[in-house]
Amino acid sequence: MNMKTSSRLQEILSNGEFAVTAECGPPRGANPEVIRKKGELLKGWVDAVNVTDNQTAIVRMSSIAGCAHLLQMGLEPVMQMVTRDRNRIALQSDIMGAYSLGIKNILCLSGDHQSFGSQPDALNVFDIDSMHLIRTVQTLREDGKDMSGFQLNGPPCMYIGAAANPFADPFEYRVIRLAKKIDAGADFIQTQCIYNMDRFKEWMKMAREEGLTEKVHILGGVTPLKSAGMAKFMNNKVAGMDVPESLIKRMAGVPKEKAVEEGLKICLETIAELREIEGVHGVHIMAIEWEEIVAEIVEAAGLTPRP
Amino acid sequence: MIVGEQKPISEIKEIIAPYKKILILGCGTCVKTCFAGGEDEVAVLASALRLACKKDGKEIEIEEFTIERQCEDEFIQESAPAISRNDGVLSLACGAGVQALARRFVKSPVLPGVNTTFIGVLEKQGVFTEECSGCGNCRLDIFGGICPVTRCAKKLLNGPCGGSQNGKCEINPETDCAWQMIIERLRILGQMDNLRIYVPPKNWQTSLSGGPRKLVREDHMI
Amino acid sequence: MNDNFTPKITLFHCINTVSEIGGFSLTGQDNFELETVKLPCSSMVKDVFLLRAFEAGSDAVIVLVCPEGQCRYVEGNIRAKKRVAWVRNLLDEIGLDGRRLSLRNISAGDTIATSRIIQNVLKDLEDLGPNPAV
Repeated sequence: MNMKTSSRLQEILSNGEFAVTAECGPPRGANPEVIRKKGELLKGWVDAVNVTDNQTAIVRMSSIAGCAHLLQMGLEPVMQMVTRDRNRIALQSDIMGAYSLGIKNILCLSGDHQSFGSQPDALNVFDIDSMHLIRTVQTLREDGKDMSGFQLNGPPCMYIGAAANPFADPFEYRVIRLAKKIDAGADFIQTQCIYNMDRFKEWMKMAREEGLTEKVHILGGVTPLKSAGMAKFMNNKVAGMDVPESLIKRMAGVPKEKAVEEGLKICLETIAELREIEGVHGVHIMAIEWEEIVAEIVEAAGLTPRP
Repeated sequence: MIVGEQKPISEIKEIIAPYKKILILGCGTCVKTCFAGGEDEVAVLASALRLACKKDGKEIEIEEFTIERQCEDEFIQESAPAISRNDGVLSLACGAGVQALARRFVKSPVLPGVNTTFIGVLEKQGVFTEECSGCGNCRLDIFGGICPVTRCAKKLLNGPCGGSQNGKCEINPETDCAWQMIIERLRILGQMDNLRIYVPPKNWQTSLSGGPRKLVREDHMI
Repeated sequence: MNDNFTPKITLFHCINTVSEIGGFSLTGQDNFELETVKLPCSSMVKDVFLLRAFEAGSDAVIVLVCPEGQCRYVEGNIRAKKRVAWVRNLLDEIGLDGRRLSLRNISAGDTIATSRIIQNVLKDLEDLGPNPAV
């Protein structure tokens, strides 16, 4: 496959373990305590923690800084990097800086459009797309060269992740896109959170048929639902999300006090199913602003202790 | 054509406020086609401004004139007498036209009356859509004739993002996802394999990013 | 009502509505001036004509068109409707009040409806007052 990095996440996946990753959003400000608290809640329960990059285009502490704080606590960060705000100069520069700080994993994304965020009046960048970013990180690692062909003094050797959304359109194309990302250099994939298990299984089947599961580690995304309202909101208002009517009904069918419990039940059922799907090598738990629940989920899913 | 929209009248009133004698100069090409600044629009704006100023008790004299194009000296010079008669010119041309006037009539205040927006087409009567952003290096051949640089909100060159749903772009449910359209077109053309090709990062030097551009055709210069 | 205010109305009409606007006797109110403009089709009413009517001193402008679906030239009255709506908006923006401009559909030859329309406009002018840009 590709060169071995010193990423702990790569080690776990290469050993054939079912990996567990989670997500952590930096604060809207410079207060590092926020990140540290989240780190404490996740430490020991997951193999790596993604730190988002100005997610939904809302200005937050940078991902690289968030990752550095987690590193100091002994956690393994995955730096998320979007191409919305930085050109190729800044992106490569930040990758080198991140690696020099000890950050070994990167998730390459295009990024939510700035019109969603706190600064819709900003000029966006999109100098390169996520595909280019993946290839760039691979070239930095494999050839030790930057995009201009310059031989680097200390090339960054990062473990490369990419996102996949089996629930966006057009469906048949999604596997072609996955193949393309793998060709560009993706080592692992984290998918959009799964509610429509049938559609996900269909996508996995297509991925297996193309031999893609031999080439990349896929981690299925999950997000526990808290209410029927949340389920409806995600289905209607969040781009690229597919929440089946049956699930919304199920959430609506329980009394309000029991909704969180039901949502967790669904989440655990999803994780159990993921462990049975050939080609799925881990789970990515996105409990946004609810990091404390991750420990409970990991334990209830029987995924402790972590290696 | 170049598409623009006439500024709101409240804004135009503020822009012309310092002047007592104004020439509204229209353009008979692009802005005429998108109903922003042709002869008819000049007449309507002049009339509306006169009414507005009369109501506010403000004295103003408004002259109306329209030339074929405001981006060529040959036509611009026809407006010279009218421009010299007035304190200022409110140009309803695109930004290029306004600047061409300013270049020629250095001593006359030239004011913009139109917000120039994009290079586009008439999709159907009354509807204009942006199609080209002048990147200077056209690859419409590999994208099935649909430009992802212009029509994809993220300028993606290697396929749609995860926000594409029901053929629409995540930023606006009325905007078609350019990549969905490209995929459909490539399917019809039997060129779906194009989707597997890694399209490398774009060289933006030929675009505005590389600085304002100039085209010199020596073969047309005496 | 201000005694010195003699309302001036300009009436644009498609000749397929009424061919001639004759003299009117409106009970209780005949103190007004009426200017009529004949058009071969109501779609000929350009934005600038409506505005110039106000520049010339009209307090209200009426556009008479054929009923929808009965335009001799198919969409003429629809175009007129769109234009009138656009100019009404413009009049609001410049502070003249878009209500001074109205479009009414009348069946061919219906002079009674025409009288009633003018009467209603005169009533509106009692509220709106004279054209502030005169």
